[in-house]
Amino acid sequence: MPSRENESIQLLQGTLDLIVLRTLASMGTQHAYQIAKRLEQVSGNLLNLNQGTLYPALVRLEQYGWIKGTWGKTENNREAKYYAITRAGQNALGKETQRWRRMAGLVEKLLVEES
Amino acid sequence: MRYLRRIFLRFFGLFANSKAEAELDREITAHLQLLEDDFLDRGVTPEEARRAARRAYGGVEQVKQLHRNERAYQGLASTVMDVQYTLRQLRKSPGFTLTAILMLAFGIGATTAVFSIVEGVLLRPLPFADPDHLVILGDDLVGSYWDQSSVTAPDIRNYMRATRSFLHLGGYQGKGFELSGTGDPVHVNATRMSGEVFPALAIAPLLGRWFTQQEDDQHQLVAVLSYGMWRERFHGDEKILGTKLLLDRKPYLVIGVMPPDFEFPLVPGHVNNSELWVPLSPQPEEFTAGYAASWNSRMVGRLKPGVTPAQAQSDAQLVAEETMRNYPGFMRSLRIRSDVKLLHEDTVAQARPLVHTLLIAVATVLLIACANLAGLLLVRSIRRRREMAVRLALGARAAMLLRQAMVESLVLSITGGLVGLVFAAACIRIGISLLPETLPRIHAISLDWPVIAFALGLAVLTGLVCGLAPAFAAIRTSVNETLKEGGRTGTPGSGHGRLRSMLVVAEISVALVLLTASGLLLRSFEKMRQVDLGFRVDHTLSAFYILPHERYRVQSAVDGFTDALLRNLRQLPGIKAAGISSSLPAAGYEGEISITVEGHVPQKGAGLNMATVSLMQGDPFQALGIRLLRGRLFTESDKADSQLVTIANRKLAEHFWPGQDPIGKRLRRGMPETPTPWLTVVGIVDDVKLGSPDGGTAEQFYQPVTQQVVSEGAFASAGELTATWGYIVLHTDLPPEQMENSLRAAVRSIDPQLPLIEMQTMEHVISGSEAPRLFNTVLISAFATIALLLAVLGIYSVIAFSVALREQEMAIRMALGCQRQGVLHLVLISAAKLGAIGCLLGLLAATAVSHLLGSFLFGVSPFDPLVLILSALTLLSFALAASALPAARAAKIDPMIALRGD
Repeated sequence: MPSRENESIQLLQGTLDLIVLRTLASMGTQHAYQIAKRLEQVSGNLLNLNQGTLYPALVRLEQYGWIKGTWGKTENNREAKYYAITRAGQNALGKETQRWRRMAGLVEKLLVEES
Repeated sequence: MRYLRRIFLRFFGLFANSKAEAELDREITAHLQLLEDDFLDRGVTPEEARRAARRAYGGVEQVKQLHRNERAYQGLASTVMDVQYTLRQLRKSPGFTLTAILMLAFGIGATTAVFSIVEGVLLRPLPFADPDHLVILGDDLVGSYWDQSSVTAPDIRNYMRATRSFLHLGGYQGKGFELSGTGDPVHVNATRMSGEVFPALAIAPLLGRWFTQQEDDQHQLVAVLSYGMWRERFHGDEKILGTKLLLDRKPYLVIGVMPPDFEFPLVPGHVNNSELWVPLSPQPEEFTAGYAASWNSRMVGRLKPGVTPAQAQSDAQLVAEETMRNYPGFMRSLRIRSDVKLLHEDTVAQARPLVHTLLIAVATVLLIACANLAGLLLVRSIRRRREMAVRLALGARAAMLLRQAMVESLVLSITGGLVGLVFAAACIRIGISLLPETLPRIHAISLDWPVIAFALGLAVLTGLVCGLAPAFAAIRTSVNETLKEGGRTGTPGSGHGRLRSMLVVAEISVALVLLTASGLLLRSFEKMRQVDLGFRVDHTLSAFYILPHERYRVQSAVDGFTDALLRNLRQLPGIKAAGISSSLPAAGYEGEISITVEGHVPQKGAGLNMATVSLMQGDPFQALGIRLLRGRLFTESDKADSQLVTIANRKLAEHFWPGQDPIGKRLRRGMPETPTPWLTVVGIVDDVKLGSPDGGTAEQFYQPVTQQVVSEGAFASAGELTATWGYIVLHTDLPPEQMENSLRAAVRSIDPQLPLIEMQTMEHVISGSEAPRLFNTVLISAFATIALLLAVLGIYSVIAFSVALREQEMAIRMALGCQRQGVLHLVLISAAKLGAIGCLLGLLAATAVSHLLGSFLFGVSPFDPLVLILSALTLLSFALAASALPAARAAKIDPMIALRGD
C-alpha cells in the first residue's frame, strides 16, 4: 500500500474521532445516523462520506472508553444504538482539541510564512 | 492506560467474535432503517428509499470489514479460528484427546515433581547470601587421600590471624554433647565454631543474637539453638533466651535461635546435621602434641570483594608455609598445601553423580511420553487421511491444512504440559506436607524451572514435529489416489507404517535403558546384601557413650566407670560377650592416622602410610564376632607397663608383610621422625566393613586402650584422658532388642545421668549404612516403572490402531480361509519383531550409557548378562502382552461385518 494514501486515512481518522467526540459533547446522546446527519449538516454537505465509515471510529472510541453505547428507541419507535460521551471522553476531547488547535495553528503559520 | 485497555479489548475481541458480529448487524440494520424512514418521509417509494439508504450508507460488507479490523487483531483471528476448530475436533474424539493429554501430563508431572523434591531436599542450593564469595579453606596433607580438605587447631589460629583475603574467616568442628537438665539426658549433635563464622554466613538469627569472636576468645559458655531443636525440645518457647542449658554438665547461656532455613555445616543428603552452635574456644592442649597434627576441623570464610579464590589460596599458602616452618620435630616431614574452593562446590560435589543419573532418568521418561504422543498423533493423522484428501479436493490450501495440523498438536502438547504442571505442583504440595515441618527450607521446595522448561519444550517440539510430519505426508499423498480407494480405509501407506514401527522400536529401546539401569542397581543391592561384612549381624547390640569431662576429670574416674560397666554387663542374663570399641563396624569411617612399619622402606613419591586405629576394652572382638585369623586377642594382662601390642587386620598385614608371618612384626604410630614406641603384632583378624557394605575396607590396627597414651609417645598431650568414649557392644543369646533395658539399667546404676546414644542392634546399623544405595535403587526403579508403564501404553495404542487399520485385510484373509489362530499369530509376530529390534537397540544404548551408572554399581558389571537378558525379556513380554489384546480382538473380527462396513 502506498504510504501517502495511508497517511491521509490516518489524518482523517484522527479528525473523525475528534469530530465525533465534539458532536456528542455538544449535542448529547446520539445514535450513529444522527451523528452522520450532524456531520453532513455542519460541513454543508462538503464532506462527502459514506455513513458507514463512522463505524470504525465508533468502535475505536468505545474501546478507548471515551464513549459508551446503549440500545434505545427513537421517537418513531425504531431501535437504535445511542452513544454518549464518558467522563474520560470529556477529558480526551479537551486534550485532543488543544492538540488539534496547536497543530492547525502551526500548519496555518507555516502556510502563511511560505506563501 | 487507554492503549492497554484497547489492546486487551482487541485481543479479547477475537474470542467474542460472534456476539460482536450480531451486534454490528443489528446496528447497521437499525441505521439503514432510520435512513430509509427519512427517505420515505421525503415521499419516495419504499423501493427507492431502500436503495437510497444503501447508497448513503456505503458498502455494508466493506464497513463490516473495517469494523472488524478496528475491533480485533485480524492477523490473529485465523489462528483463533484454527484453535476453535481444533478444540471442536478434539471434543469429537475425547478418548484420543484424554489419552494424549494425560500421558503427557503424567510424563511431565511425575518426573518434574520427583526431580524437584529430590533436588529441594537433598541438593538444596546454599541458603546463604552472596554464595559466590563463600569459600572453604583447608589443607591438602601431601600424601594423604582425604576427599575433603581440613585443618588443625593451630591452622585455624594461624589462618585467622595472618590471611588478608577474607572479610570473615573462622573454623568449625562437629561435636557431640550430653544435654541434661531438661528431661532425660540426651545426646545432641553440635558444632563448635569461631565467632567469625556467623558473620561470614550472614544469616540473621530468628531470636536473640549470635556469639561474637570476642566471646569465642574469652571462652564464654554461650549457645545458639537451631530452629528444629528449639521447636522440638523447647516447644518454641521464646523465653528460652537467657536460660541455661547443661551441655556435658556445664551451664551454657542460650543467646539466640537461628531461623529454620539456617543449616551449617551443610551435608548433602542429610538435614539438621547440627542442632546447636557453641564457640570454638580451643583449649590450650589443642595446640600441642598430637592435637596439632589432627586435621579434624574445617574453615569457612567470606572473600573480600574482588578477591578470587585463587588469590585467597596463594595468600593462605604463605601462612601455611610459616605454619610448616614452626612444626615440631616429630611432624617435620609433613607437607601441607592450602586449598580454597567455593563452599558450593565443596557441598555439591558429592551429590553430582546422583543428579546426573536423575536427570537422565527424567529425560528418558519424558522421551517415552513424547514418543507416545508422537505415535498417537501419527495414528490420528492416518485416520484422517481421507478427510484431508476431501478438503484438498474441495479447494483447501495446503498451508492451511498444515497450520491446522500444527495447531492441533500444539494445543495437545501445551495442554498436556500445563496439566502436567498442575499435577507436579499438586505432587509437590503433597510431598511437602508429608515431610517434617522442621526440615530446612522445606517451603522453598518448588518446581524446578529449568527441568520444567525442558519438559515443556520437549513436549512442544514433539507436538510440532509430530504434527507437521503427518500433515506433510497427508498433503503429498495424491488426492485422487486416496479418494479412489473409495470407501475403504484400506491398508495404510508404507511410509506411515515404517514411522509407526520406528516409534514403537524407539520406545522399547529407551524404556529398556531405564529398565537395565534399574536392574543393575537392584542386583548391586542384592550383591551388597551378600557381602561378607567380617562381623556378626544378628544377636548383637551396640550403644555409644561419651563421659562428660566435668565429672570424669581424671583417668582413675574414667577407668572406674569402664571397669564397673564391663563388670555389670558381663553379669547380665543372656550375655555371651561384652566389650567396648572406639569404632563400630558399618557405623561410618572414623578417619585414619599415619603409621610407620618396621623395615618398610616407602617408595619414592609414595604417600603417607595411613591406617585406622581402634581402641579396645573387654571382649569387643568376641562381641562383634570379628574372626581371629592368627595369633591371639587382647587380654587383661595387656597393661600400660607391659609389652606394647597390636592386632592388625588382614589388609594391613598383606600390604606390609606379603607372604610373611606377620606375628612378631612391629609398627608404630606417626611418621618416621616421630618418637613413638614400637607395637608388636600379636594377632591378625579378618577385615571388617567400617562404612557401608559396598564401600572398601581400610587398613586397620587395634590396640588395648590401656596402652594408648604410651604408644602415642610425643603425640600424647599432658593429662590426656583415654577411654572417655566408646561403643558398647554386646553379643547375646536373647533377641538384642530385649537387652536394651538391661543395658540402660547397667549404665544408670553407675552414672544415672549418662545418656546412651544411638542404641541399636547391628542389623539396624547395617540397614542405616545401606540406606543411600537403597535410596538410589528405589528412585531409579520408580522411574523405570513409570517408563515401563508409559512404554506399554504406547505400544498398546500403536498396535491396537495398526490392527484396527488392518481390519479389512484380516477380514479378507479370514474370508479366504485363514484361521483365527493365524490372525492372532500374524499380529503377535509383527509385535514380537518390533519388540526384538527395540530390545536390541535398547541393549546397545544401555551399554553406551553404562559408564554413567558405573559409579553406582557394586559387584556387578554394567554389562551383566543376567540383568541385560532379564530386562530385555521383561520388556519383550510386556510388549507382547500389550499387543495380545488387539490381537485377540483382530481374531474375533466377523469377516462379513468388516467387509460390509465402511
